[in-house]
Amino acid sequence: MDFLKSIAIAASGLRAQSGRMRVIAENIANADSTATTPGGEPYRRKVATFKSEIDKALEAPVVTLGPVRNDPSEFRVKHEPGHPNADENGNVKYPNVNGLVEMTDMREAQRSYEANINVISASRRMIQRTIEILKS
Amino acid sequence: MAITDLPLFSMLRTRMQWHQERQRILAQNVANADTRNYRPQDLAPLKFEPSKIAMAASAGPSGGLTRTDANHFNVGVSSSGNQFQAAHGGNLETRPSGNAVNLEDEMIKVAANQMDFQAATTLYTKSLGLLKAAIGKR
Repeated sequence: MDFLKSIAIAASGLRAQSGRMRVIAENIANADSTATTPGGEPYRRKVATFKSEIDKALEAPVVTLGPVRNDPSEFRVKHEPGHPNADENGNVKYPNVNGLVEMTDMREAQRSYEANINVISASRRMIQRTIEILKS
Repeated sequence: MAITDLPLFSMLRTRMQWHQERQRILAQNVANADTRNYRPQDLAPLKFEPSKIAMAASAGPSGGLTRTDANHFNVGVSSSGNQFQAAHGGNLETRPSGNAVNLEDEMIKVAANQMDFQAATTLYTKSLGLLKAAIGKR
């Protein structure tokens, strides 16, 4: 029945968005994680990508979390001579995570998640109405 | 004379199938709201031609649906068959990632689709009730 396909497609959207939330949570939690050795690389921001592929069991295109890529932008450099991980110039590299960007991404993921939930509710109500034809 | 041969029931059944297919397409649009280079899809509105309805009453469950075979567009690998045409709408909002899904539009369409489906099922129920009254069952 096609309604179950709609629900399965929306469920794949839910899974993809929650995967995205996980990546955003990793970024926010590691926003200040410097390197473990002096002059090493700190935490690099990750970006979640989506891809649309055909699910064979459903015969419908579903969305899945694609490869999680690293953000290639520059690290923030702060001058902190007293930091244990400072290199020879006294600079410490901080992760390239911008709190504002992560919060906006988080809101967008939440909005998409709720939209998918609405689709599931609407499909479920339509199935219920169809079954109610039998009751009268 | 089977119930599905009555034009009223076959038309309502086609309409309900159309709503089912549209719900699937809208679910796809919403699930792909963040995918790169994704363009939202939709179905063309259903049209019934009166001349075809009477003829199709004996032709089976397809009803009096207007179809033009040459314009069939494959709206995905759907096992229910591609009897419904896809609509080609203008995309006013395309983000830099290539994604053109407008979430508010899709939500409104989902709600409208659900209400129309509800109307179709209510009509179907009432028509069944009419038939039952005709055969004297309460």
